[in-house]
Amino acid sequence: MAVILGLESSCDDSAAALVTSDRQILAQAVVGQADQHRPFGGVVPEIAARAHVEILPGLVRQVLRDAAIEIGEVDAIAATAGPGLVGGVMVGLLAGKGLSLATGKPLIAVNHLEGHALSPGLTDASLDFPYLLLLASGGHCQLLEVRGVGDYRRLATTIDDAAGEAFDKAAKQLGLGYPGGPAVEQLAGQGDPEAVPLPRPLVGSGEPHFSFAGLKSAVQRAVQSGKYRPADIAASFQAAVVDCFVDRTRIALRKSDAPSLVVAGGVAANASVREALETLAAEEGRAFSVPPGWLCTDNAAMIGWAGAQRLAAGWVDGLDVPARARWPLDEDAEKVRGAGVKA
Amino acid sequence: MILAIDTSTAACSVALFGANERLMAREQEVIGRGHAERLVPMIEKLLDGRQPDAILVGVGPGSFTGIRVGIAAAQGLAIGWNIPLDGMSSLALIAASAGEEPGARAAVVPGGHGELFVQEFDGPDLTQLGPHRSLAPEAAAEEIGAPLLLGPGAATLIAARGSGEAREGWPDAGCALDLPEDLRKLAPKPLYGRPPDAKPKAAV
Repeated sequence: MAVILGLESSCDDSAAALVTSDRQILAQAVVGQADQHRPFGGVVPEIAARAHVEILPGLVRQVLRDAAIEIGEVDAIAATAGPGLVGGVMVGLLAGKGLSLATGKPLIAVNHLEGHALSPGLTDASLDFPYLLLLASGGHCQLLEVRGVGDYRRLATTIDDAAGEAFDKAAKQLGLGYPGGPAVEQLAGQGDPEAVPLPRPLVGSGEPHFSFAGLKSAVQRAVQSGKYRPADIAASFQAAVVDCFVDRTRIALRKSDAPSLVVAGGVAANASVREALETLAAEEGRAFSVPPGWLCTDNAAMIGWAGAQRLAAGWVDGLDVPARARWPLDEDAEKVRGAGVKA
Repeated sequence: MILAIDTSTAACSVALFGANERLMAREQEVIGRGHAERLVPMIEKLLDGRQPDAILVGVGPGSFTGIRVGIAAAQGLAIGWNIPLDGMSSLALIAASAGEEPGARAAVVPGGHGELFVQEFDGPDLTQLGPHRSLAPEAAAEEIGAPLLLGPGAATLIAARGSGEAREGWPDAGCALDLPEDLRKLAPKPLYGRPPDAKPKAAV
C-alpha cells in the first residue's frame, strides 16, 4: 500500500489530501475561494493564485497532522500540473516539487481532468475499465471513453461554453451571484421546469458534442422579458441542460461498448443531473456510477488517487515538468469545428 | 546551512551558505520566463545531496508569478525537511549588488502597467530610506533621489530622470546574508506591491 499526498490548485479551490493505493482517504482539506471572487462575478486568475499560495502550505501541514503521518512516510507527491489557471497551477506544482526534492519521493504531475476521470474508482471498487464518462465542470464538458489509466478517447466536447459555466452565467442573469451551480439547483427546486420554453442546442445531431451558448442567451431573454418567475427560469434552464446531457450521452453510449456510464466533475454534484443519467444508463443497459458530491467538485483526494494509479503504473515525472494551461486528456482528439480553447 | 532562493525577476537565483555564513555554492541564470521548470532542478544541483537547516526566499516586490513560484517551492522544501522558512526583500537583494559602496542607492524593477517597483537604501548597511512603492517612471523620477540606480528597471528610470548611474543588477541569492536582519526575517508570503488587476462588477 502506498500513501500519496495530493495537491490541487487549478481553479478556485485550494486542496490537499492523503490517500492510499487501497482507496483509503486518510485526510483531506479543501478551502474554496468563492467569497474572494464573488464581488467580480467569476474567478479572477490573479486573485486565485494569490489565495492558493497563502492557503495551500497550511493545508499540507493540516492533512499530515490530521492523518498523524510524517511527511517522510508519504510514498509520492501528486500535484495538479494543468489544465487550469496556470498561475494557480504553478503554486501547487511548485510546492509538490519542493516536497519531492526534500523527501526524495517521486513527483507525479497529474492532469486535473484525469483526476476527475478516475475519481469514481476511489469510492467505487467495483467499477472496471472501460467506462463512458460525462465530465462536466466549470471549465469542461466532454464525453470520454476511459479505457484505463492514461488511456482516454474523447468522443465529444463542448463547442462553446462548459456546462458549469452555463450554470454560473444563468445564475448571474438570475441575480444569484457566484458560484452558480448550487444556487440555480436550489432555486430550480421551487420552479416549474416546463414553464419557460428554452432551446436544447445540438440535441438530435449525430455527433454527441455540446453547446450551451444559445441556452445562455435564451435565459437572458427570458429574464429580460419579465414574463417568468426566476424559479421557473432556473428550473427550465436546469431541465434544458439535463436534456442536452441525456441526449448527447445516449448518442455516445451507442458509439461505445463500455459497460458502465460514469458522471464526474462539479456539475455531477447536481441531483437532477445524477438522476437523469442514472435513468439513461438503465435504459441503455449500462451500469451507473457517480462519485459522492464532495468528490465531484474540485478536491485533492482525486489528484492523490490518480497519482496512486500512475505510480502503480511506474509513471513519475521530473522536477522540470511544466505547468500547463491547456492539457487535453486525449491528445489525438480531432479538433471540433467551431470549438474554442475549452475543447 | 542556509538555502537562499530568489525568482522575483527574469533571473533565477539560488545560493547555499555554510558555517560562518560562508557562501558555499551559487547558481544564477537570467532566463526571462520558465522559473517553474528551472528552479527546483537548479536547487537540486546546487545542493548536491546536502540538506540545509533553514531557507530564505525572496518575496518581492517583482513578478507576481515569479515570487509565487519561489515561495511555493520554498514552502514545499521547508515542510519536506521540517526546517524554518523566512522571507527576504527582493529589492534589498538588488540593492546589495552594489556591495561596499557608500551612499544612497535605489533598487528599480519593472512592475505592472509600465510602472516601476522602487525602494531606496543607504550604503552597504542597506538601511531602508523609504518604503517600497510602485510608481510611474515620471513619478519615480521625482521621488527617487539616489544617484545610483540598480536593477532591471534602472535604465528606464535614468531615462525618465536624466541623471545618475544605472547598473543592470539582478536579485542575487548569494547576497542574501548581506541583508540586515529586518529585511530577511519577513513572513514567507508575497510582497506584491500592487493590488491584483480586477475591478468589482456593479452589484450583481
